[in-house]
Amino acid sequence: MHPVQMFCWHFMAYPYLPKDFDEKYDTGWVTVPNKLWDREKTRGLYQEYIDQLVYGEELGFDGLVLNEHHQNIYGMMPSPNIIAAALTQRTKRAKLVVLGNLLPLHLNPLRIAEEYAMLDSMSDGRLIAGFAVGGGPEAFNYDIPQPQARTQYWEAIDLIHRCWTESGPFTHEGHHYPLRYTNVWPLPQQRPHPRIWIPGALSVETMEEVAKRGYDYFLSSRAHGAGTRKAAQRFADIIKFYGGKFHPFRMGILLSVYVSETDEQAKEEAHEGVFYFLKNTLKGHLRREGRTLTFGAGVPSTSVRSWEQFLKNANPGAKMLGDANTWEELEEWGSITIGSPKTVREKLWTLIEQAGVGNLMIQFHFGNMRPELARKSMRLFATEVAPALRRDSAAMFARDYPELNEMPEFSRVAV
Amino acid sequence: MTTRTMTVAGRNVAVAEIGKGRPVLYLHGFADVHAGSVGWLPFHETLGESFRVIAPAHPACAGTDEDEGIDTIDDVIFHTLQVMDALGLGKVDIVGTCFGGWIAAELAVRNPERVGRVVLVGASGLMVPRQPIGDLFWQIQPENGIEYKGLRSLLFARADDPAALALFPDVRSDIERGLSQFKAMRFASRVGFKPPYFYHRKLRERLGRFKGEALLIWGESDRMVPRSHAEAYRTGLGGKTTLKIVAGAGHSPHVEKPKLVAGQIQSFLAPKAPSKKAASVTVKSVAKKKAPVAKKRSGAGRRR
Repeated sequence: MHPVQMFCWHFMAYPYLPKDFDEKYDTGWVTVPNKLWDREKTRGLYQEYIDQLVYGEELGFDGLVLNEHHQNIYGMMPSPNIIAAALTQRTKRAKLVVLGNLLPLHLNPLRIAEEYAMLDSMSDGRLIAGFAVGGGPEAFNYDIPQPQARTQYWEAIDLIHRCWTESGPFTHEGHHYPLRYTNVWPLPQQRPHPRIWIPGALSVETMEEVAKRGYDYFLSSRAHGAGTRKAAQRFADIIKFYGGKFHPFRMGILLSVYVSETDEQAKEEAHEGVFYFLKNTLKGHLRREGRTLTFGAGVPSTSVRSWEQFLKNANPGAKMLGDANTWEELEEWGSITIGSPKTVREKLWTLIEQAGVGNLMIQFHFGNMRPELARKSMRLFATEVAPALRRDSAAMFARDYPELNEMPEFSRVAV
Repeated sequence: MTTRTMTVAGRNVAVAEIGKGRPVLYLHGFADVHAGSVGWLPFHETLGESFRVIAPAHPACAGTDEDEGIDTIDDVIFHTLQVMDALGLGKVDIVGTCFGGWIAAELAVRNPERVGRVVLVGASGLMVPRQPIGDLFWQIQPENGIEYKGLRSLLFARADDPAALALFPDVRSDIERGLSQFKAMRFASRVGFKPPYFYHRKLRERLGRFKGEALLIWGESDRMVPRSHAEAYRTGLGGKTTLKIVAGAGHSPHVEKPKLVAGQIQSFLAPKAPSKKAASVTVKSVAKKKAPVAKKRSGAGRRR
């Protein structure tokens, strides 16, 4: 049987912003002044966040997810590989998903090939290797011109792939990364290489590149609804076009969840953390207020073709996820699912059933949420939500994708 | 606007022309034709009354194909030389605004045999310590989802200038113009996003190589390319160089004061009277008094 794979994603937000942050600062990204970093309060913060992820493995999650952000309050992992390295020593079973390293921001992709190989080796073959190109904020973080970033990005991925699959030393005659001696030590433990996940925001170009190479696609959207189903359909069609086979585990989505004993209690407990997350950490990224670096023409990471679609369909000035002021408004985004185990189970099942996607990356910690609340939510999810989702999804996938029976079962330890 | 498409090194290059007479190569900037504006602006129409203004669109801009091979400004210079070859332009007068001015300046120092007189309007291209060029990429990111006040303040003296609002309104942009601006940003990003930001560190020390006449036109409150850059061009260029400061204008004097700026260029590039008058006008007198400016303007009107 092949049930949905559930991963615990931690963004490691900065939780100690002043109460008047939203009034005083127009963004939580790139130019958010680092005088706001409190050297006293932050002692032990990384340790706490790492402990929460380790707890995720104890609870039986299939994997733990990390990603890379710079100069911001949303995610404090400029180097997710450092956290992943710590996790290799604290966990035994869970997949470690780095989703991903922002390739154009690094001097040479060879370094990523080496670090990922180290992580795969140190974790006894548990790494899932994610590669990301970066968007608006990342362009400003490291001054990366986006038209070049795209070509640089795919050249870097192909180079890393070569590093792991071709015997070295070899010469790489690349445009951006010419190398005379390419000879990675160590090699990753998994053969031919760790699974490669590529995040994308619905663009056809990205899906095509992913499908051509046989990689997996991660839809990075925070909003869910009919669009998620459409994305899965589109990706499936593109895979087919390139002669591959789609199944639910070729794709992942990002979910956010808070579970408590009752719906009312869930809202009460999650309120502070969720709205801190929406109003502060999404400011500059997914909020209309302030200056949003994610959707302007200034960092043209999308193709002209995609931008034309954007101009036709987008409604500039409309509210974004971070502009939700009430639970009701938030509900419309289908982004953060909050409630009792029963409520969350039903809502997530509707989503899984609609989208037909097998990898669920789930965020449990929001903004300045107290650690004990995040842990409780994770525990309730693992014990009262996850089992039913596993059972029902395994039956559904077996029915819709009989070819999955030929695929080895996922190894996991039951909770 | 009539545009034709030429093939240059296997790629399409869109070229728009206006007017008759002596050819002038026009290298556009951002608040300009082929970029912020889909069609000609009043400035180009006035210029076209005296010259044959030939305006190729830079790679990725308007109907010109994007060139994945462009990594730095050097590639753009080479591309522009190829375009000049294809247009049959030997030695030609060049007018450039914003990053188009940068390209013009680079051409002038590298290939002076191809450049007659040169006009730089709010040109980027130079590194002047502690006088950074304003961040176009940052300012074109909307505020509150749809507002471009910061962008207009960067590109114009007044954010509420009607010409500024016409190009960069706080409402949903029409698709053609939105796409044109996006494509121009892709071009700009290729040559100007990565440090060095819209400049070539060595251009300043090379300026002396151009011995031809140059006219520099700067808005008095250019917040994109500080006036110190105009001074650096004026003292660095090797030939007779005149700086005109346009009162009441910012980075885009050709959009903000189209008749005046077109008139200044018409006088400077006029075939006979090789602009002794223009050369005699000092920077200070132009900056402080409005009278000579008004005189020039009427002069331009007479020629029409």
